[in-house]
Amino acid sequence: MKTLIVEIIEPNRLGELMTASRKFCDQPDIVAIGTGDIPGSYHVAYQTQECIGANLTASLGDLIKTNGYEIVLMSATTLGASIAGPLAILLSASIITEATGITDDSMIERPIYGGKAVARYKADTWPLILTIRRKYFEKDTLNGQTSSIPLPVSAGPVKLVTEKIEKAEGVPLEDAEVIVTGGRGMGGAENFSMLKDMAGYFPKGAVGASRGAVDEGWVSPSLQIGQTGKIVAPSVYFAIGVSGASQHLAGIANAKCVVAINKDEEANIFKRARFGLVCDYKNVIPEIVRALREES
Amino acid sequence: MHIAVLAKVVPDYAVPSSDFELVDNRAHAKYTRMIGLYDENAIETGVQLKQKYGASLTVISYGRDSDVPVLRKALAMGADRLVMIQGESDDAYTVAANLKLAIEKLGNVDMILAGQQSADMDRGLVHGLTAGMLGCPFIPQVSRISSENGVWTVDQIMENGVREMSVSGKAVFSITSVPENVPRIPAVRDIFGAKKKPVEKMVSVSGNGACVTEISVEIPILTSVCELIPMDDPGVMAQTLLKRLREARYL
Ligand SMILES: Cc1cc2nc3c(=O)[nH]c(=O)nc-3n(C[C@H](O)[C@H](O)[C@H](O)COP(=O)(O)OP(=O)(O)OC[C@H]3O[C@@H](n4cnc5c(N)ncnc54)[C@H](O)[C@@H]3O)c2cc1C
Ligand SMILES: Nc1ncnc2c1ncn2[C@@H]1O[C@H](COP(=O)(O)O)[C@@H](O)[C@H]1O
Repeated sequence: MKTLIVEIIEPNRLGELMTASRKFCDQPDIVAIGTGDIPGSYHVAYQTQECIGANLTASLGDLIKTNGYEIVLMSATTLGASIAGPLAILLSASIITEATGITDDSMIERPIYGGKAVARYKADTWPLILTIRRKYFEKDTLNGQTSSIPLPVSAGPVKLVTEKIEKAEGVPLEDAEVIVTGGRGMGGAENFSMLKDMAGYFPKGAVGASRGAVDEGWVSPSLQIGQTGKIVAPSVYFAIGVSGASQHLAGIANAKCVVAINKDEEANIFKRARFGLVCDYKNVIPEIVRALREES
Repeated sequence: MHIAVLAKVVPDYAVPSSDFELVDNRAHAKYTRMIGLYDENAIETGVQLKQKYGASLTVISYGRDSDVPVLRKALAMGADRLVMIQGESDDAYTVAANLKLAIEKLGNVDMILAGQQSADMDRGLVHGLTAGMLGCPFIPQVSRISSENGVWTVDQIMENGVREMSVSGKAVFSITSVPENVPRIPAVRDIFGAKKKPVEKMVSVSGNGACVTEISVEIPILTSVCELIPMDDPGVMAQTLLKRLREARYL
Protein backbone atom coordinates (compact mmCIF):
# COMPACT_ATOMS: atom_id res chain seq x y z
CA MET A 1 0.00 0.00 0.00
CA LYS A 2 1.23 3.48 -0.74
CA THR A 3 2.56 4.75 2.56
CA LEU A 4 3.67 8.19 3.72
CA ILE A 5 5.58 8.82 6.93
CA VAL A 6 5.30 12.33 8.42
CA GLU A 7 7.90 12.96 11.11
CA ILE A 8 10.60 15.25 12.40
CA ILE A 9 14.16 14.27 11.50
CA GLU A 10 15.00 12.18 14.57
CA PRO A 11 16.52 8.73 14.00
CA ASN A 12 14.71 6.90 16.83
CA ARG A 13 11.26 8.05 15.79
CA LEU A 14 12.03 7.45 12.11
CA GLY A 15 13.37 3.96 12.88
CA GLU A 16 10.17 2.98 14.71
CA LEU A 17 7.98 4.36 11.91
CA MET A 18 10.05 2.51 9.31
CA THR A 19 9.38 -0.76 11.18
CA ALA A 20 5.65 0.01 11.32
CA SER A 21 5.61 0.91 7.61
CA ARG A 22 6.90 -2.59 6.70
CA LYS A 23 3.46 -3.92 7.58
CA PHE A 24 2.08 -1.96 4.65
CA CYS A 25 4.81 -1.48 2.03
CA ASP A 26 8.43 -2.16 1.03
CA GLN A 27 9.56 1.41 0.92
CA PRO A 28 7.55 4.36 2.20
CA ASP A 29 7.67 7.99 1.14
CA ILE A 30 8.33 10.62 3.78
CA VAL A 31 7.62 14.21 4.69
CA ALA A 32 10.63 14.99 6.86
CA ILE A 33 10.34 17.99 9.15
CA GLY A 34 13.42 19.96 10.09
CA THR A 35 16.82 20.70 8.66
CA GLY A 36 19.70 18.44 7.70
CA ASP A 37 20.02 15.06 6.04
CA ILE A 38 17.22 12.52 6.17
CA PRO A 39 18.50 9.20 7.52
CA GLY A 40 17.10 6.05 5.87
CA SER A 41 16.05 5.03 2.44
CA TYR A 42 12.71 6.31 1.17
CA HIS A 43 11.10 6.09 -2.22
CA VAL A 44 10.45 9.86 -2.33
CA ALA A 45 11.38 12.32 0.41
CA TYR A 46 9.80 15.75 0.86
CA GLN A 47 11.21 18.18 3.39
CA THR A 48 9.94 21.26 5.20
CA GLN A 49 11.08 23.32 8.16
CA GLU A 50 7.53 24.14 9.23
CA CYS A 51 7.20 22.35 12.55
CA ILE A 52 3.74 23.45 13.73
CA GLY A 53 1.11 20.84 12.99
CA ALA A 54 -1.75 23.29 12.38
CA ASN A 55 0.32 25.02 9.68
CA LEU A 56 1.15 21.78 7.88
CA THR A 57 -2.28 20.18 7.61
CA ALA A 58 -3.39 21.86 4.36
CA SER A 59 -0.24 21.07 2.38
CA LEU A 60 -0.13 17.50 3.71
CA GLY A 61 -3.75 17.09 2.64
CA ASP A 62 -2.90 18.25 -0.89
CA LEU A 63 0.12 15.95 -1.11
CA ILE A 64 -1.83 12.92 0.12
CA LYS A 65 -4.71 13.55 -2.27
CA THR A 66 -2.46 14.17 -5.28
CA ASN A 67 -0.34 11.07 -4.72
CA GLY A 68 -3.09 8.78 -3.50
CA TYR A 69 -1.40 7.66 -0.29
CA GLU A 70 -3.35 4.91 1.46
CA ILE A 71 -1.51 4.94 4.78
CA VAL A 72 -0.25 8.02 6.62
CA LEU A 73 2.04 7.12 9.53
CA MET A 74 3.13 9.41 12.37
CA SER A 75 4.30 8.84 15.90
CA ALA A 76 1.84 9.65 18.69
CA THR A 77 3.74 12.72 19.81
CA THR A 78 2.83 16.41 20.04
CA LEU A 79 3.32 16.71 16.28
CA GLY A 80 1.26 13.62 15.45
CA ALA A 81 -1.50 14.71 17.84
CA SER A 82 -1.58 18.15 16.17
CA ILE A 83 -1.98 16.83 12.66
CA ALA A 84 -3.96 13.56 12.84
CA GLY A 85 -7.49 14.78 13.64
CA PRO A 86 -7.70 17.83 11.38
CA LEU A 87 -6.04 15.90 8.53
CA ALA A 88 -8.57 13.07 8.89
CA ILE A 89 -11.42 15.58 8.42
CA LEU A 90 -9.72 17.14 5.41
CA LEU A 91 -9.40 13.72 3.74
CA SER A 92 -12.51 12.01 5.18
CA ALA A 93 -10.01 9.39 6.27
CA SER A 94 -10.11 6.46 8.66
CA ILE A 95 -8.10 7.24 11.74
CA ILE A 96 -6.59 5.26 14.62
CA THR A 97 -4.34 6.97 17.15
CA GLU A 98 -1.87 5.71 19.76
CA ALA A 99 -1.48 2.26 18.20
CA THR A 100 0.83 -0.18 19.97
CA GLY A 101 0.72 -3.05 17.50
CA ILE A 102 -0.13 -4.00 13.91
CA THR A 103 -0.98 -7.65 13.29
CA ASP A 104 0.01 -9.48 10.10
CA ASP A 105 -3.55 -9.15 8.84
CA SER A 106 -3.38 -5.36 9.30
CA MET A 107 -5.42 -5.17 12.48
CA ILE A 108 -4.42 -2.28 14.65
CA GLU A 109 -4.08 -2.73 18.41
CA ARG A 110 -4.33 0.05 20.92
CA PRO A 111 -4.83 0.15 24.68
CA ILE A 112 -7.99 1.64 26.16
CA TYR A 113 -9.05 2.27 29.78
CA GLY A 114 -5.56 3.40 30.73
CA GLY A 115 -4.01 0.19 29.43
CA LYS A 116 -6.40 -2.06 31.34
CA ALA A 117 -7.75 -3.42 28.05
CA VAL A 118 -6.53 -3.71 24.48
CA ALA A 119 -8.83 -3.05 21.52
CA ARG A 120 -8.30 -4.25 17.95
CA TYR A 121 -9.55 -2.29 14.98
CA LYS A 122 -9.72 -2.71 11.24
CA ALA A 123 -9.86 0.23 8.87
CA ASP A 124 -12.79 0.13 6.46
CA THR A 125 -11.68 2.83 4.05
CA TRP A 126 -8.46 4.45 2.81
CA PRO A 127 -6.56 6.54 3.47
CA LEU A 128 -5.90 5.41 7.03
CA ILE A 129 -4.17 7.88 9.31
CA LEU A 130 -2.27 6.02 11.98
CA THR A 131 -0.25 7.32 14.91
CA ILE A 132 1.94 4.87 16.82
CA ARG A 133 3.04 5.08 20.43
CA ARG A 134 6.75 5.51 20.96
CA LYS A 135 8.83 2.48 21.95
CA TYR A 136 6.29 -0.17 20.93
CA PHE A 137 7.89 -0.81 17.55
CA GLU A 138 11.54 -1.94 17.42
CA LYS A 139 13.50 0.72 15.60
CA ASP A 140 14.75 -0.25 12.18
CA THR A 141 18.35 0.48 11.29
CA LEU A 142 18.19 3.38 8.91
CA ASN A 143 20.60 2.80 6.07
CA GLY A 144 22.05 5.69 4.12
CA GLN A 145 20.28 8.95 3.46
CA THR A 146 17.66 10.14 1.02
CA SER A 147 17.89 13.47 -0.75
CA SER A 148 14.73 15.50 -0.59
CA ILE A 149 12.55 17.85 -2.58
CA PRO A 150 10.99 20.78 -0.71
CA LEU A 151 7.35 20.50 0.34
CA PRO A 152 5.61 23.78 -0.43
CA VAL A 153 3.84 25.05 2.70
CA SER A 154 1.81 28.26 2.64
CA ALA A 155 1.55 30.48 5.71
CA GLY A 156 -0.67 28.88 8.34
CA PRO A 157 -2.81 30.26 11.17
CA VAL A 158 -0.36 29.68 14.03
CA LYS A 159 2.73 31.80 14.76
CA LEU A 160 5.71 30.50 16.68
CA VAL A 161 6.70 32.99 19.38
CA THR A 162 9.46 31.17 21.26
CA GLU A 163 10.69 27.66 21.75
CA LYS A 164 12.54 26.49 24.85
CA ILE A 165 14.17 23.13 24.41
CA GLU A 166 14.98 21.50 27.74
CA LYS A 167 18.39 19.91 27.66
CA ALA A 168 18.10 16.57 29.44
CA GLU A 169 20.82 16.41 32.08
CA GLY A 170 22.70 13.23 31.30
CA VAL A 171 20.97 10.34 29.58
CA PRO A 172 17.52 10.96 28.00
CA LEU A 173 14.83 8.85 29.70
CA GLU A 174 14.04 6.98 26.48
CA ASP A 175 17.63 5.71 26.27
CA ALA A 176 18.21 5.06 29.98
CA GLU A 177 19.13 1.56 31.16
CA VAL A 178 18.26 2.31 34.79
CA ILE A 179 15.45 4.70 35.75
CA VAL A 180 14.84 5.90 39.30
CA THR A 181 11.28 7.27 39.40
CA GLY A 182 9.69 9.19 42.23
CA GLY A 183 5.95 9.57 42.75
CA ARG A 184 3.69 11.59 45.00
CA GLY A 185 4.96 9.49 47.89
CA MET A 186 8.29 11.36 47.67
CA GLY A 187 6.60 14.13 49.66
CA GLY A 188 8.52 17.10 48.25
CA ALA A 189 10.76 18.44 45.49
CA GLU A 190 13.84 18.42 47.70
CA ASN A 191 13.66 14.65 48.12
CA PHE A 192 14.30 14.10 44.43
CA SER A 193 17.98 14.92 44.96
CA MET A 194 18.30 11.52 46.64
CA LEU A 195 17.01 9.89 43.48
CA LYS A 196 19.44 11.91 41.36
CA ASP A 197 22.32 10.68 43.52
CA MET A 198 21.16 7.12 43.10
CA ALA A 199 20.69 7.37 39.32
CA GLY A 200 24.17 8.90 39.06
CA TYR A 201 25.78 5.61 40.09
CA PHE A 202 24.49 3.79 37.01
CA PRO A 203 26.25 4.32 33.67
CA LYS A 204 23.00 5.03 31.82
CA GLY A 205 20.89 6.12 34.76
CA ALA A 206 18.14 8.78 34.76
CA VAL A 207 15.46 10.19 37.05
CA GLY A 208 11.77 9.95 36.13
CA ALA A 209 8.47 10.89 37.80
CA SER A 210 4.80 9.97 37.95
CA ARG A 211 2.03 12.38 37.11
CA GLY A 212 1.42 12.65 40.85
CA ALA A 213 4.86 14.21 41.36
CA VAL A 214 4.55 16.42 38.26
CA ASP A 215 1.12 17.70 39.37
CA GLU A 216 2.64 18.65 42.72
CA GLY A 217 5.15 20.81 40.84
CA TRP A 218 8.15 18.91 42.20
CA VAL A 219 9.68 18.11 38.81
CA SER A 220 9.34 19.18 35.19
CA PRO A 221 6.55 17.60 33.08
CA SER A 222 9.30 16.37 30.74
CA LEU A 223 10.17 13.74 33.38
CA GLN A 224 6.68 12.25 33.45
CA ILE A 225 6.56 8.58 32.57
CA GLY A 226 3.38 6.86 31.46
CA GLN A 227 0.62 6.81 28.94
CA THR A 228 0.70 10.58 28.52
CA GLY A 229 4.37 10.97 29.41
CA LYS A 230 7.50 9.26 28.21
CA ILE A 231 7.34 5.60 27.24
CA VAL A 232 10.50 3.94 28.51
CA ALA A 233 12.14 0.52 28.29
CA PRO A 234 14.98 0.33 30.83
CA SER A 235 16.57 -2.80 32.18
CA VAL A 236 15.77 -1.78 35.77
CA TYR A 237 12.96 0.58 36.77
CA PHE A 238 12.85 1.73 40.39
CA ALA A 239 9.33 2.98 41.26
CA ILE A 240 9.55 4.89 44.54
CA GLY A 241 6.40 6.21 46.22
CA VAL A 242 4.44 5.40 43.05
CA SER A 243 1.05 3.69 43.47
CA GLY A 244 1.19 1.92 40.11
CA ALA A 245 -1.87 3.35 38.35
CA SER A 246 -2.51 1.59 35.03
CA GLN A 247 -1.76 4.82 33.15
CA HIS A 248 1.68 4.94 34.75
CA LEU A 249 2.32 1.26 34.04
CA ALA A 250 1.41 1.91 30.38
CA GLY A 251 4.72 3.77 30.11
CA ILE A 252 6.84 0.93 31.48
CA ALA A 253 5.32 -2.09 29.73
CA ASN A 254 8.73 -2.89 28.25
CA ALA A 255 10.81 -2.38 31.40
CA LYS A 256 12.64 -5.66 32.07
CA CYS A 257 12.67 -5.51 35.87
CA VAL A 258 10.58 -3.27 38.12
CA VAL A 259 11.67 -2.66 41.71
CA ALA A 260 8.84 -1.20 43.80
CA ILE A 261 9.49 0.74 46.97
CA ASN A 262 6.23 1.66 48.66
CA LYS A 263 5.08 1.75 52.24
CA ASP A 264 1.65 0.36 51.37
CA GLU A 265 1.89 -3.36 50.78
CA GLU A 266 -1.44 -3.25 48.92
CA ALA A 267 -0.14 -0.77 46.34
CA ASN A 268 -0.80 -1.88 42.77
CA ILE A 269 2.84 -1.38 41.78
CA PHE A 270 3.74 -4.64 43.54
CA LYS A 271 1.61 -6.49 40.98
CA ARG A 272 3.95 -5.31 38.23
CA ALA A 273 7.18 -5.52 40.23
CA ARG A 274 9.83 -8.24 40.15
CA PHE A 275 11.29 -7.11 43.48
CA GLY A 276 9.44 -5.26 46.21
CA LEU A 277 10.42 -3.36 49.34
CA VAL A 278 7.50 -2.57 51.63
CA CYS A 279 8.84 0.41 53.58
CA ASP A 280 9.28 4.16 53.82
CA TYR A 281 11.65 5.03 50.98
CA LYS A 282 13.56 7.39 53.30
CA ASN A 283 14.86 4.38 55.20
CA VAL A 284 16.24 2.54 52.20
CA ILE A 285 17.30 4.92 49.43
CA PRO A 286 20.22 6.30 51.50
CA GLU A 287 21.30 2.69 52.14
CA ILE A 288 21.13 1.80 48.45
CA VAL A 289 23.14 4.94 47.64
CA ARG A 290 25.67 3.99 50.33
CA ALA A 291 26.01 0.45 48.95
CA LEU A 292 26.50 1.80 45.41
CA ARG A 293 29.07 4.33 46.64
CA GLU A 294 31.05 1.67 48.46
CA GLU A 295 31.12 -0.49 45.36
CA SER A 296 32.24 2.28 43.02
CA MET B 1 -15.59 36.15 25.64
CA HIS B 2 -17.36 32.80 25.59
CA ILE B 3 -15.37 29.66 26.37
CA ALA B 4 -16.66 26.14 25.77
CA VAL B 5 -15.10 23.15 27.53
CA LEU B 6 -15.59 19.62 26.18
CA ALA B 7 -15.82 17.14 29.05
CA LYS B 8 -16.58 13.45 29.10
CA VAL B 9 -17.86 11.32 31.96
CA VAL B 10 -16.00 8.01 32.23
CA PRO B 11 -15.85 4.96 34.50
CA ASP B 12 -13.46 5.36 37.47
CA TYR B 13 -10.03 5.50 35.83
CA ALA B 14 -8.24 4.65 39.07
CA VAL B 15 -9.63 1.10 39.23
CA PRO B 16 -6.53 -1.14 39.26
CA SER B 17 -6.00 -3.61 36.42
CA SER B 18 -6.54 -6.58 38.69
CA ASP B 19 -10.10 -5.43 39.49
CA PHE B 20 -11.05 -4.40 35.97
CA GLU B 21 -13.90 -6.21 34.21
CA LEU B 22 -15.49 -5.85 30.78
CA VAL B 23 -19.09 -6.39 29.74
CA ASP B 24 -19.82 -6.23 25.99
CA ASN B 25 -16.33 -4.84 25.35
CA ARG B 26 -16.83 -1.87 27.69
CA ALA B 27 -16.02 -1.27 31.37
CA HIS B 28 -18.47 -2.98 33.73
CA ALA B 29 -21.31 -0.65 34.74
CA LYS B 30 -20.46 -1.05 38.43
CA TYR B 31 -17.60 1.46 38.39
CA THR B 32 -18.24 4.95 39.75
CA ARG B 33 -18.70 7.57 37.01
CA MET B 34 -16.48 10.65 37.04
CA ILE B 35 -15.27 13.46 34.80
CA GLY B 36 -12.07 12.48 32.95
CA LEU B 37 -8.89 13.67 34.66
CA TYR B 38 -7.59 15.81 31.78
CA ASP B 39 -11.09 17.15 31.18
CA GLU B 40 -10.99 18.45 34.76
CA ASN B 41 -7.70 20.19 33.94
CA ALA B 42 -9.51 21.79 30.98
CA ILE B 43 -12.44 22.88 33.18
CA GLU B 44 -10.02 24.36 35.72
CA THR B 45 -8.23 26.26 32.94
CA GLY B 46 -11.61 27.53 31.71
CA VAL B 47 -12.58 28.70 35.20
CA GLN B 48 -9.30 30.58 35.60
CA LEU B 49 -9.74 32.28 32.20
CA LYS B 50 -13.34 33.14 33.08
CA GLN B 51 -12.13 34.84 36.26
CA LYS B 52 -9.30 36.65 34.49
CA TYR B 53 -11.23 37.90 31.46
CA GLY B 54 -14.84 37.95 32.74
CA ALA B 55 -15.73 35.28 30.21
CA SER B 56 -18.76 33.05 30.22
CA LEU B 57 -18.07 29.33 30.45
CA THR B 58 -20.16 26.51 28.99
CA VAL B 59 -19.42 22.82 29.49
CA ILE B 60 -20.48 20.54 26.64
CA SER B 61 -20.71 16.80 27.09
CA TYR B 62 -21.92 14.02 24.84
CA GLY B 63 -23.09 11.01 26.82
CA ARG B 64 -25.74 9.56 29.03
CA ASP B 65 -28.46 11.67 30.56
CA SER B 66 -27.72 9.94 33.88
CA ASP B 67 -24.28 11.60 33.91
CA VAL B 68 -25.72 15.09 34.45
CA PRO B 69 -25.27 14.84 38.27
CA VAL B 70 -21.58 13.96 37.73
CA LEU B 71 -21.12 16.98 35.47
CA ARG B 72 -22.56 19.28 38.13
CA LYS B 73 -19.04 19.19 39.56
CA ALA B 74 -17.95 21.33 36.58
CA LEU B 75 -20.70 23.83 37.42
CA ALA B 76 -19.61 23.81 41.06
CA MET B 77 -16.02 24.48 39.94
CA GLY B 78 -17.26 27.63 38.21
CA ALA B 79 -18.79 26.85 34.80
CA ASP B 80 -21.98 28.78 34.06
CA ARG B 81 -24.01 26.18 32.23
CA LEU B 82 -24.02 22.67 30.86
CA VAL B 83 -25.06 21.43 27.46
CA MET B 84 -25.74 17.70 27.56
CA ILE B 85 -25.97 15.93 24.22
CA GLN B 86 -27.72 12.63 24.79
CA GLY B 87 -25.93 9.80 23.00
CA GLU B 88 -24.17 6.51 23.58
CA SER B 89 -21.59 6.24 20.81
CA ASP B 90 -17.85 5.93 21.44
CA ASP B 91 -17.07 6.56 17.79
CA ALA B 92 -14.77 9.58 17.58
CA TYR B 93 -16.31 11.00 14.37
CA THR B 94 -19.84 10.70 15.78
CA VAL B 95 -18.90 12.34 19.09
CA ALA B 96 -17.03 15.15 17.30
CA ALA B 97 -19.94 15.77 14.90
CA ASN B 98 -22.26 16.21 17.88
CA LEU B 99 -19.87 18.46 19.79
CA LYS B 100 -19.48 20.60 16.67
CA LEU B 101 -23.27 21.01 16.38
CA ALA B 102 -23.54 22.04 20.02
CA ILE B 103 -20.71 24.57 19.63
CA GLU B 104 -22.34 26.04 16.52
CA LYS B 105 -25.70 26.18 18.29
CA LEU B 106 -24.17 28.26 21.07
CA GLY B 107 -23.21 30.64 18.31
CA ASN B 108 -20.71 32.98 19.90
CA VAL B 109 -17.99 30.62 21.16
CA ASP B 110 -14.49 32.19 21.00
CA MET B 111 -12.40 29.31 22.28
CA ILE B 112 -12.90 25.59 22.81
CA LEU B 113 -10.94 23.71 25.49
CA ALA B 114 -10.72 19.94 25.76
CA GLY B 115 -8.77 17.45 27.82
CA GLN B 116 -5.56 16.06 26.32
CA GLN B 117 -7.27 12.67 26.14
CA SER B 118 -10.38 11.00 27.50
CA ALA B 119 -9.83 8.73 30.49
CA ASP B 120 -11.53 5.71 28.89
CA MET B 121 -10.80 5.73 25.15
CA ASP B 122 -7.35 7.33 25.66
CA ARG B 123 -7.04 8.36 22.04
CA GLY B 124 -6.53 12.14 22.03
CA LEU B 125 -8.56 12.47 18.86
CA VAL B 126 -12.06 13.87 19.36
CA HIS B 127 -10.84 17.46 19.88
CA GLY B 128 -8.73 17.45 16.71
CA LEU B 129 -11.65 16.08 14.69
CA THR B 130 -13.97 18.70 16.20
CA ALA B 131 -11.52 21.45 15.21
CA GLY B 132 -11.32 20.03 11.69
CA MET B 133 -15.12 20.00 11.42
CA LEU B 134 -15.36 23.56 12.72
CA GLY B 135 -12.62 24.61 10.31
CA CYS B 136 -10.54 26.23 13.03
CA PRO B 137 -6.94 25.67 14.22
CA PHE B 138 -6.14 22.97 16.75
CA ILE B 139 -3.24 23.07 19.21
CA PRO B 140 -2.79 20.09 21.55
CA GLN B 141 -1.06 19.77 24.94
CA VAL B 142 -1.51 23.39 25.99
CA SER B 143 -0.55 24.36 29.55
CA ARG B 144 -1.17 28.13 29.60
CA ILE B 145 -3.41 30.56 27.67
CA SER B 146 -3.59 34.32 27.59
CA SER B 147 -5.57 36.72 25.41
CA GLU B 148 -4.83 40.14 24.00
CA ASN B 149 -6.74 41.96 21.24
CA GLY B 150 -8.36 38.78 19.97
CA VAL B 151 -5.05 36.91 19.83
CA TRP B 152 -4.46 33.84 22.00
CA THR B 153 -0.95 33.15 23.19
CA VAL B 154 -0.47 29.61 24.40
CA ASP B 155 2.28 27.41 25.80
CA GLN B 156 2.45 23.90 24.45
CA ILE B 157 4.30 21.21 26.40
CA MET B 158 6.27 19.09 23.94
CA GLU B 159 8.33 15.98 24.59
CA ASN B 160 11.49 18.03 24.99
CA GLY B 161 10.42 21.48 26.08
CA VAL B 162 7.87 24.25 25.74
CA ARG B 163 6.74 26.11 22.66
CA GLU B 164 4.97 29.47 22.84
CA MET B 165 2.60 30.12 19.96
CA SER B 166 -0.05 32.64 18.99
CA VAL B 167 -3.24 32.28 16.98
CA SER B 168 -6.17 34.58 16.37
CA GLY B 169 -9.87 33.81 16.09
CA LYS B 170 -11.76 30.74 17.21
CA ALA B 171 -9.45 27.84 18.08
CA VAL B 172 -9.51 24.46 19.82
CA PHE B 173 -6.87 23.75 22.49
CA SER B 174 -6.36 20.48 24.30
CA ILE B 175 -5.18 20.99 27.86
CA THR B 176 -2.39 19.03 29.48
CA SER B 177 -1.83 18.83 33.22
CA VAL B 178 0.50 21.22 35.06
CA PRO B 179 0.51 22.22 38.73
CA GLU B 180 -1.31 25.45 37.78
CA ASN B 181 -4.39 23.63 36.50
CA VAL B 182 -4.82 20.95 39.15
CA PRO B 183 -8.64 20.91 39.45
CA ARG B 184 -9.99 22.87 42.41
CA ILE B 185 -12.19 21.14 44.99
CA PRO B 186 -15.50 23.01 44.98
CA ALA B 187 -16.72 24.51 48.27
CA VAL B 188 -20.00 23.20 49.74
CA ARG B 189 -21.68 26.55 48.92
CA ASP B 190 -20.67 26.15 45.26
CA ILE B 191 -21.93 22.56 45.16
CA PHE B 192 -25.35 23.81 46.27
CA GLY B 193 -25.16 26.76 43.89
CA ALA B 194 -24.43 24.40 40.99
CA LYS B 195 -27.82 22.74 41.41
CA LYS B 196 -29.47 25.96 40.25
CA LYS B 197 -27.31 26.47 37.16
CA PRO B 198 -28.93 25.79 33.77
CA VAL B 199 -28.62 22.42 32.02
CA GLU B 200 -29.68 22.29 28.39
CA LYS B 201 -30.30 18.91 26.80
CA MET B 202 -29.79 18.18 23.14
CA VAL B 203 -30.73 15.17 21.06
CA SER B 204 -27.76 13.65 19.25
CA VAL B 205 -27.36 13.05 15.53
CA SER B 206 -25.81 9.91 14.11
CA GLY B 207 -22.40 10.54 12.57
CA ASN B 208 -20.73 9.03 9.54
CA GLY B 209 -18.53 6.80 11.69
CA ALA B 210 -14.75 6.85 11.87
CA CYS B 211 -14.53 4.26 9.08
CA VAL B 212 -12.93 1.79 11.48
CA THR B 213 -14.51 -1.34 12.93
CA GLU B 214 -13.80 -2.47 16.46
CA ILE B 215 -13.00 -6.16 16.21
CA SER B 216 -12.34 -7.11 19.82
CA VAL B 217 -11.52 -5.80 23.29
CA GLU B 218 -9.56 -7.93 25.71
CA ILE B 219 -7.96 -7.62 29.11
CA PRO B 220 -4.29 -8.53 28.84
CA ILE B 221 -3.12 -11.13 31.31
CA LEU B 222 -0.53 -9.78 33.73
CA THR B 223 1.75 -12.36 35.22
CA SER B 224 4.19 -11.15 37.78
CA VAL B 225 5.71 -12.69 40.81
CA CYS B 226 7.02 -10.11 43.17
CA GLU B 227 9.84 -11.19 45.45
CA LEU B 228 9.67 -9.16 48.65
CA ILE B 229 13.11 -8.35 50.04
CA PRO B 230 13.16 -8.70 53.85
CA MET B 231 13.38 -5.36 55.62
CA ASP B 232 14.93 -6.26 58.98
CA ASP B 233 18.09 -4.25 58.37
CA PRO B 234 18.04 -1.52 55.70
CA GLY B 235 21.78 -1.92 55.00
CA VAL B 236 21.50 -5.66 54.42
CA MET B 237 18.35 -5.07 52.40
CA ALA B 238 20.15 -2.67 50.04
CA GLN B 239 22.95 -5.15 49.48
CA THR B 240 20.53 -8.06 48.97
CA LEU B 241 18.57 -6.08 46.40
CA LEU B 242 21.65 -5.11 44.38
CA LYS B 243 22.95 -8.68 44.58
CA ARG B 244 19.63 -10.12 43.34
CA LEU B 245 19.51 -7.59 40.47
CA ARG B 246 23.01 -8.59 39.40
CA GLU B 247 22.41 -12.33 39.74
CA ALA B 248 19.42 -12.01 37.44
CA ARG B 249 21.60 -9.91 35.07
CA TYR B 250 19.33 -6.89 35.16
CA LEU B 251 22.29 -4.77 36.23
C1 LIG C 1 -5.96 9.76 30.73
C2 LIG C 1 -4.99 9.66 31.87
C3 LIG C 1 -3.63 9.65 31.60
C4 LIG C 1 -2.70 9.55 32.64
N1 LIG C 1 -1.36 9.52 32.32
C5 LIG C 1 -0.45 9.31 33.31
C6 LIG C 1 0.95 9.21 33.01
O1 LIG C 1 1.38 9.32 31.86
N2 LIG C 1 1.81 8.99 34.04
C7 LIG C 1 1.39 8.86 35.34
O2 LIG C 1 2.23 8.65 36.23
N3 LIG C 1 0.07 9.00 35.65
C8 LIG C 1 -0.84 9.22 34.66
N4 LIG C 1 -2.18 9.36 35.00
C9 LIG C 1 -2.55 9.51 36.42
C10 LIG C 1 -2.66 8.20 37.18
O3 LIG C 1 -3.98 7.70 37.06
C11 LIG C 1 -2.36 8.42 38.69
O4 LIG C 1 -3.20 9.42 39.18
C12 LIG C 1 -0.90 8.84 38.97
O5 LIG C 1 -0.01 7.95 38.30
C13 LIG C 1 -0.64 8.80 40.47
O6 LIG C 1 0.68 9.21 40.77
P1 LIG C 1 1.45 8.61 42.04
O7 LIG C 1 1.49 7.13 41.96
O8 LIG C 1 2.73 9.34 42.16
O9 LIG C 1 0.55 9.13 43.24
P2 LIG C 1 -0.40 8.36 44.27
O10 LIG C 1 -1.40 7.54 43.54
O11 LIG C 1 -0.87 9.41 45.20
O12 LIG C 1 0.56 7.34 45.03
C14 LIG C 1 1.55 7.68 45.95
C15 LIG C 1 2.11 6.39 46.52
O13 LIG C 1 3.21 6.70 47.37
C16 LIG C 1 3.19 5.82 48.48
N5 LIG C 1 3.94 6.48 49.57
C17 LIG C 1 3.58 7.60 50.27
N6 LIG C 1 4.56 7.93 51.12
C18 LIG C 1 5.56 7.03 50.99
C19 LIG C 1 6.85 6.86 51.59
N7 LIG C 1 7.29 7.71 52.49
N8 LIG C 1 7.60 5.81 51.20
C20 LIG C 1 7.16 4.92 50.26
N9 LIG C 1 5.96 5.05 49.65
C21 LIG C 1 5.17 6.09 49.99
C22 LIG C 1 1.71 5.61 48.77
O14 LIG C 1 1.52 4.39 49.48
C23 LIG C 1 1.13 5.59 47.36
O15 LIG C 1 1.05 4.26 46.86
C24 LIG C 1 -3.13 9.47 33.97
C25 LIG C 1 -4.50 9.48 34.25
C26 LIG C 1 -5.43 9.56 33.22
C27 LIG C 1 -6.88 9.55 33.56
N1 LIG D 1 -18.33 12.29 24.81
C1 LIG D 1 -17.63 13.41 24.93
N2 LIG D 1 -18.21 14.54 25.42
C2 LIG D 1 -17.50 15.69 25.57
N3 LIG D 1 -16.21 15.80 25.25
C3 LIG D 1 -15.59 14.71 24.76
C4 LIG D 1 -16.25 13.47 24.57
N4 LIG D 1 -15.35 12.59 24.07
C5 LIG D 1 -14.18 13.24 23.97
N5 LIG D 1 -14.31 14.52 24.37
C6 LIG D 1 -13.26 15.58 24.46
O1 LIG D 1 -12.19 15.23 23.59
C7 LIG D 1 -11.01 14.90 24.36
C8 LIG D 1 -10.26 13.78 23.68
O2 LIG D 1 -11.05 12.61 23.71
P1 LIG D 1 -10.55 11.22 23.09
O3 LIG D 1 -10.30 11.43 21.65
O4 LIG D 1 -11.65 10.24 23.35
O5 LIG D 1 -9.28 10.87 23.85
C9 LIG D 1 -11.53 14.60 25.76
O6 LIG D 1 -10.52 14.82 26.73
C10 LIG D 1 -12.70 15.57 25.88
O7 LIG D 1 -12.26 16.88 26.18
